[in-house]
Amino acid sequence: MVTRRICFAAYALGVVLLASAVSGQAPTPSAPLTILSKEGRRPLPITDVQGHQMVGLDDLSTLFQLTVREDAAAKAVTVSYKNQTVVLTPDQSLASMSGGRLISLPAPLTRQGRRWVVPIEFISRALAPIYDVRIDFRPASRLVVVGDIRVPRVVARYDDSGTSLRVTLDITPKTTATVVQEQNRLLVRLEADALDTLFPSVPAQNGALAGIHALEPNTIIIDLGPRFASYRTSTPVSSGAAAVLAIDLLTAAAQTSANPPASPTPDAPAVPASPLPVFGAPRVSVRTVVIDPGHGGEDAGIKGHGGLTEKDLTLALARRLKNVIEGRLGIRVLLTRNNDALIEADARAAMANNNKADLFISLHANGSPRSTTRGASIFSLSLDRFSEDARRHSRADREVLPVYGGGSREFSLVEWELAQVSHIEGSTVFAGLVEQKLKETAGLQSVTLLKAPMRSLAGANMPALLFDAGYLSNPDDEKLLGLAEFQNSVALAITEAIAAFRDYLDHGADGPAPGRVDGPAVP
Amino acid sequence: MTPKQRDVMIYSALGAVLVVGLVVLFFVGPRWLVSAPTEEPDAAVAAASSNVRKIRARLLYVAEDGVRLSPVEQEVIYGEGTVEQAKRIIEAQVAQPQPPLVSAIPAGTKLKTVFVTAKGEAFVDLTPELRSNQQGGTTNEILTTYTIVNALTLNLPAITSVQILIDGKEVDTLAGHLDLRRPLEQDERWVSQ
Repeated sequence: MVTRRICFAAYALGVVLLASAVSGQAPTPSAPLTILSKEGRRPLPITDVQGHQMVGLDDLSTLFQLTVREDAAAKAVTVSYKNQTVVLTPDQSLASMSGGRLISLPAPLTRQGRRWVVPIEFISRALAPIYDVRIDFRPASRLVVVGDIRVPRVVARYDDSGTSLRVTLDITPKTTATVVQEQNRLLVRLEADALDTLFPSVPAQNGALAGIHALEPNTIIIDLGPRFASYRTSTPVSSGAAAVLAIDLLTAAAQTSANPPASPTPDAPAVPASPLPVFGAPRVSVRTVVIDPGHGGEDAGIKGHGGLTEKDLTLALARRLKNVIEGRLGIRVLLTRNNDALIEADARAAMANNNKADLFISLHANGSPRSTTRGASIFSLSLDRFSEDARRHSRADREVLPVYGGGSREFSLVEWELAQVSHIEGSTVFAGLVEQKLKETAGLQSVTLLKAPMRSLAGANMPALLFDAGYLSNPDDEKLLGLAEFQNSVALAITEAIAAFRDYLDHGADGPAPGRVDGPAVP
Repeated sequence: MTPKQRDVMIYSALGAVLVVGLVVLFFVGPRWLVSAPTEEPDAAVAAASSNVRKIRARLLYVAEDGVRLSPVEQEVIYGEGTVEQAKRIIEAQVAQPQPPLVSAIPAGTKLKTVFVTAKGEAFVDLTPELRSNQQGGTTNEILTTYTIVNALTLNLPAITSVQILIDGKEVDTLAGHLDLRRPLEQDERWVSQ
């Protein structure tokens, strides 16, 4: 009988302990966040409450000099910094900011013993807006960057070709890097205060690379494997806001079959070496240009008060441009439409892709709700998070396929509708050249370089831009756009830009500097 | 006149009065019967509307330069939760403003509904006037699109990106320029400081 009772008590105790363990009510510690500032690194403890990562208001108060005041009567907690406040209410996921603005949080303010805890998203959504120093919360790397310190994000990728292994570092934002060899490791030093790194596990079978890790504050260590013979780096390539640095680790087999690379001297900056051949890279020089007169058919585009329509203007300008390019440069020029026809956006890009065009220029006229707005605009494609991923995959997704006549080649695979993401750099350079020539040759006062998710550019598998010649919503611009002299001067300027871009491709880095991107122009 | 003839005349007159009364009641009565009770609810709605809870939100209107949007703090009806608040913000944003404010949303556009996914992607379903009343031109299209995208992402941090739908369907573009096939993230380049 006694034994039965003891067994029952033990069973009941076990059930209670198990229930308390699985209930999730008890907070459990998570990996801390790291606060990065000019003063150094400091950990910020995190607890897990019902699946949400929470941070204590007391810890935030200490680190950021906040005042936390509990108002029992109002059943609210007020977090203050200087004259800014955030009011939190227990069990509510909304917080009220100074000025009456509401923000939402993934979990409510919660009491934990004597402490109040809030979701870690409080840092970016509530604290950052009221703080007088920039706070950059990077949840993926569990970093909170405070102040204007340089902490580039560095993501590594590996491409194993058997005889060599390419380590590609995507560095965002662009940061100067030098590579030196020290015994059995390479040191990549970046001009930064700290690093935010993501290094996937290294491929085991190659043998040239043993490991990769970061060394505070600003160095990446590449540990070399037993098969490593030498290395070479390519010139860092600018890609939007990021820089791409490729380091090829050559094995002994690769070194005997290739030209011996320049032997890097210790502590010397990386010497730009001739990059390895990459199939699918942009072709050198410009042989074919596709010009796309925007709109057409039942889609007239914008119509000016004087009666000029966008579809007629773009067709007239396209024909002039074709004549000037063919006459002066001897380049083949194709138009996506040569009459008043409606062409789908994908069909326009397809014509350029199928004809292996080296440049795609979409012509348009602009319109604004303000009739005083004037000037020309040049758009290249902007990358959002989705297309950034696509760009990375387009580099990683390569496949070796058999080719006609025997043998095989490596092809880069890219989604049709995201073809342009591989040509962002070329498009930016070309846009900068068009801007320069429009000002110099055509004498345009207001030309703005912009990036936006343009539909007609997304599928173009070559450098591409959209050119808005002026505002048909402005009566003066409308008159100007209709003049043959104006159209001829614009056609000449774009032709000169194509010639300059051809030189840039032929002479690589010796060519003109890449273009910049403005905010919208003030007329 | 015999008494019998007099009785007939009296009954005829009464009958005529009754018929006229019924006719008048038929045409006038229902309106009176219906309209009278509505006075009280209308008054109640008016009284209640003055007590409607509101928040201050940053709505976006065309800046003086005509190429950016300018944030203007305005009162917007409070909505419980992200979805309801998003609806109230878009309803306020698509309403035509009082001068001198200029809206980048084409006249006649109305909100149909808003969906928000667990990832914070909002789908804003609007009426076809958003496209059919577009004036055309890249800047017009950019300002229209980012009025909606930025109005939600600036005011509601829980919303990370916005895709515009028309009559519940995805659209390629509004006027042939901007790619609307995927949700767009906040882009403050189109907002003047």
